[in-house]
Amino acid sequence: MHKWWLIFKREYITRVRTKGFVIATIAIPLLTSGIMGASIYLAIRQNTRSMKITILDNAGGFADSIATGLTKTLPNGKPAFQVVKKIERPASEEGVRKELLDEVNSGALDAYLVLPKEGAAAKSAEFHTKNTGDFTLEGLVARAVSNSFVERRLGDHGVKVDNLDDLLRGVDVKMVKVTKEGETEEKGQTFVVGLILMMLLYTMLVMYGIVTMRSVLEEKTTRIVEILISAVTPFQLLAGKIIGVAAVAFTQYFIWISTAVLIGAYGGAIASAYSPGTSITSFHIPGFVLIASVIYFLLGYFLYASLYAAIGAASSNEQDAQQLQLPATLPLVVSVVMWNVILRDASSTTSIVLSEIPFFSPILMLLRISIQTPPLWQIGLSVVLMILTTFGVVYFSSRIYRVGILMYGKRPSLVEILRWLKYS
Amino acid sequence: MDAVVLEHVTKSYESLTAVNDLSFAIRQGAVFGLLGPNGAGKTTTLRMVMRILMPDTGSIRILNQPLTEKSQDLIGYLPEERGLYPRMEVRKVLVFLAALKGMPEVEADRRAGQWLERFELSAWAKKKVIDLSKGMQQKVQFIATVIHRPPVLILDEPFTGLDPVNAILVKDIMLELRAQGSTIILSTHRMEQVEMMCDSICLIHKGRNVLHGELREIKKSYGKNTLRIECSGDGDFLERSGLVEKVNHYGEVMEAKLLPGTDPQEILKGALQQGVRINRFELVEPPLNDIFIEKVGGASA
Repeated sequence: MHKWWLIFKREYITRVRTKGFVIATIAIPLLTSGIMGASIYLAIRQNTRSMKITILDNAGGFADSIATGLTKTLPNGKPAFQVVKKIERPASEEGVRKELLDEVNSGALDAYLVLPKEGAAAKSAEFHTKNTGDFTLEGLVARAVSNSFVERRLGDHGVKVDNLDDLLRGVDVKMVKVTKEGETEEKGQTFVVGLILMMLLYTMLVMYGIVTMRSVLEEKTTRIVEILISAVTPFQLLAGKIIGVAAVAFTQYFIWISTAVLIGAYGGAIASAYSPGTSITSFHIPGFVLIASVIYFLLGYFLYASLYAAIGAASSNEQDAQQLQLPATLPLVVSVVMWNVILRDASSTTSIVLSEIPFFSPILMLLRISIQTPPLWQIGLSVVLMILTTFGVVYFSSRIYRVGILMYGKRPSLVEILRWLKYS
Repeated sequence: MDAVVLEHVTKSYESLTAVNDLSFAIRQGAVFGLLGPNGAGKTTTLRMVMRILMPDTGSIRILNQPLTEKSQDLIGYLPEERGLYPRMEVRKVLVFLAALKGMPEVEADRRAGQWLERFELSAWAKKKVIDLSKGMQQKVQFIATVIHRPPVLILDEPFTGLDPVNAILVKDIMLELRAQGSTIILSTHRMEQVEMMCDSICLIHKGRNVLHGELREIKKSYGKNTLRIECSGDGDFLERSGLVEKVNHYGEVMEAKLLPGTDPQEILKGALQQGVRINRFELVEPPLNDIFIEKVGGASA
């Protein structure tokens, strides 16, 4: 059995057994889906009761057409609105308003709609209710009111229409994404998928980079490292450790992604089973993007983890490590900051150049791929460049590592660390 | 046959030559003391034997083979700075470290059980290392050094942190392993331990070999030039006699190196004249401590 395999095994097993890992891996998807489920459930529950409203029509002649316009039904089949009373041209508007206000406050009524005296010439109406935050409701009421007014104005001009909704319907302009494989309708999902993948990759790279760094540092501060390198070469130790942490990251990634896929596949079905008519927009991640995200995560992880490992080896304690972290974290932060450059024009020269820089590639090339598949040679070039850079970084990092793990005391300066590279 | 041979080994750091043209050989089955003041280059030497550091020039051979990745498995290493994974179970740490040294895990597990029993740690086998006392951790560390049956052992201050009972246990195990043919390199500042256990020594100072050979031969070469006296009464008569170089007082016992050409009888006569009561008067070989101090010129011992 290879010695690096023993290092790998220990690293993997001890890490997946920590409370932190179990909580992050299992609790986060559970919590997320729990919260999602709960909010869907609550949203469904909330809307099982019709809203009782009264229409106060000061001009007269509008209330009926508005009442017929409020046709929306709830998921359980009941009408969303129930017009309790229609008051046309009351003797005292003030008196009626006061009455209605009291009814709303006592709960006998959910809302009342006030139409102005001006009639068809009116510019605004009022909808009084306790909960003014429900935009769906507001939209439905507003449409019914304005349809009724528009119908009246058209009637005044001698135009008689039966189906105003059809008449007033605008024309949607659909975005169609053109790719080599064909054309697909764009509903904003590529943009969202790209951003989500980018943030996920950034978080995982930083998180597991730091895990690697801590792991190196822990062996150094507990002084077990001298015993370890009396049995394995520093390179075997470093390799076993980095691959071990990568396996931990993949375990987590796998659990998260499969949960997401399960929620995507069944979540919508479950929600619509409880309430017909509820639609949950499902995000479809194209297979190519998914594969690319795995490849760029792997390459990015090896690149950054070996940097973080070198930082851990050069430090003697957590504080030193935090101060030395900047050179590793900065390129990641910069690449995330550059996202809008890519988004504006994914195939501009700037975008191409930025995404080919190996330290930026994991995030920026992946973003480009998810927005607009770049030419294959550009993807290939970035992969080749990253592999070459990773070999270089691993070579230098393992040299720093080899010297650093036996150095204790004062935090070395960057110049001193670079001098370690020359040590035999 | 020599188990460990160093030939003209030199290792330099940026401005410092830690080990300078060092050569010595260790007979198989011997206990070898690597001595020297702090910063003499002992740790660097041991790390080179352990293949943690590479010598700039010179060669090191273990059991007649040049150092390779495999040679690490032949050595059990107890470094001066001890360390274990604090959050791992005791038995698992032992199995892991033995497996790293090339022992199959099943056998490592069996041997871990035996060793834990011998050190009366069986009840702690499933506890985390961090839950053990310092002394217990030292014992676990010692087990980790010997568990894979290495033919060569490097022990850097093996007795620190052990109570007298456990120190004797460790000493007995060392002698037992030597009887089975193991070669032991002992690095320590405790000269009485060296005198009790070592067959041969090498004293290094500023990276150079300043004294090297069989302990008995070395002591013999100094001759019986040291006076050990146990007396009651005024102990200062020795200094006043003007016939000795330096007196070390250990309570009632004193040790003094005679000036060359001195007849010890003169001192005895002087003592009796001054009414000092002598309980013991013995001419001995110099203690290793004095040889050490003489060789490194009184630098911190």
